[in-house]
Amino acid sequence: MEISPDAWVLYEWRGLRLTATVVFTWAVMALLVIGSWAVTARISEDETVSRWQVMLEVIVTRIRDQIDEVGAETPERYLPFIGTLFLFIATANLLTIVPGYQPPTGSLSTTAALAICVLIAVPLFSIARRGLAGYLRTYIRPTPLMLPFNIISEASRTLALAIRLYGNVMSGTVIVGILISVAPFFFPVLLQLLGLLTGLVQAYIFAILAMVYIASASQSRKDADGGANTETAKGD
Amino acid sequence: MQIDWLTVAAQIVNFLVLVWLLQRFLYKPITNAMRRREERIEERLSEAKSARTEAEEEAEALRRKKAELEDSKEEILDAAREEADALRERLETEIREETEEKRAAWREHLAEERDAFATSLRRKAGKQVLEVTERVLSDYADSDTADRVVATFAKRLKALDAETREKMTSAAAEDGQTAVVHTGSALSGSAKGRITRAIHETLSSDIEVDYREDAEMVLGVRLTIGDYTAEWSAMRYLKRLETELGEIIDAGTHAGGKGEDEAAVDDENAGEGDGRDTRREDHETA
Repeated sequence: MEISPDAWVLYEWRGLRLTATVVFTWAVMALLVIGSWAVTARISEDETVSRWQVMLEVIVTRIRDQIDEVGAETPERYLPFIGTLFLFIATANLLTIVPGYQPPTGSLSTTAALAICVLIAVPLFSIARRGLAGYLRTYIRPTPLMLPFNIISEASRTLALAIRLYGNVMSGTVIVGILISVAPFFFPVLLQLLGLLTGLVQAYIFAILAMVYIASASQSRKDADGGANTETAKGD
Repeated sequence: MQIDWLTVAAQIVNFLVLVWLLQRFLYKPITNAMRRREERIEERLSEAKSARTEAEEEAEALRRKKAELEDSKEEILDAAREEADALRERLETEIREETEEKRAAWREHLAEERDAFATSLRRKAGKQVLEVTERVLSDYADSDTADRVVATFAKRLKALDAETREKMTSAAAEDGQTAVVHTGSALSGSAKGRITRAIHETLSSDIEVDYREDAEMVLGVRLTIGDYTAEWSAMRYLKRLETELGEIIDAGTHAGGKGEDEAAVDDENAGEGDGRDTRREDHETA
């Protein structure tokens, strides 16, 4: 039993392997982009709006509101990054109801890639907002003694992001596989349903945590403490 | 649990491409559309608000104008009323004055008519009296009327007191010994001779007498020497008759005047008066 789509190699050329992870990622990307384009190509700015556009507007507005709730002053700056994290992970997880589909988020390579993106995005957003000195100063707060702990925190939370998503998605797949062999038909369906919920929750958690990290690095010390508290609360 | 770093790199690239694509096809169009819609709604709301404000201002202005119009209407009505009152008073005064003038003119006219009437009446009465007198005289006397007049004149002349005679004589001397005798009708030669003789006897024999006719005297003789005049004529009777007639006419006019006042009062009460009608009625009254 393959527990990671990374092991599923579809094509190999001179050591470059085209794994199922990448192919399914492309599928998810294509679905998202084509779906968005199909709606926004006929976008309406009047009061009469198509239901698909309403759906997209609701999704975008909700994501923006969530970013706003975390405390970012300009949600539009973070909307593409955070929104894409959420939409990608959610879509990748929800597509598990399609037979033969392997979620790319069940691959540690994908979750690691996303976590690295967050790891890089946090200082980038922070520097863009407060400058390099301002960002570096966050490492010696509240005292320079905290510098090592801050660095460890930076690394560990990236690792935690990657492992959390990977573990949840992969475990869902694995549990379904085990249950199929143990108690076929009924329980796997329930677990699949549970997997859909878990997948959506994980997408939410990943995106919100990314935002919290970015916000805490971009805001003042007091807000950063608040952000850390939020992180603690959200961590599972 | 294994990490394929090549896949990690590929996924990072995939993710960044997805971010760019979604930004291009999802976030930007959606947020722009929503922003524009919000702006449009905002614009419409502000337009509606401004339109409402404008309408309210206009309504307020119209209300104010209406109130002003009502105020000014009252003022205009008051002014018009006052003007009408003033005009009515002025017209009444004018009409009253005009009526007074007409009445005065009519009275004047009436007085003139009365005078003219009295004069003609006097003449006619005089002539009538003269004719009657002449007829009486010619019927009952043995000489003609002129002779009787001359005789009477001569008698009167002789009856003058001495002082008057002396004054007349001296006046004749100053005037070149001439005397003028006016008679109502032409005298016969004997009558003239009697008058001349009487003058010569009474005053002075040097006086030359000049005879002239005066139709107005009707009947009688008037001697004029310088400033002095001696006269006997029917005019005296006629004047007495005239006086009596004048008194009668005055009495009649007085009675007519009363009637006229009453008629005027009636006219004023009636509101409309015609001066001519009034005059005619009063004339009839007179």
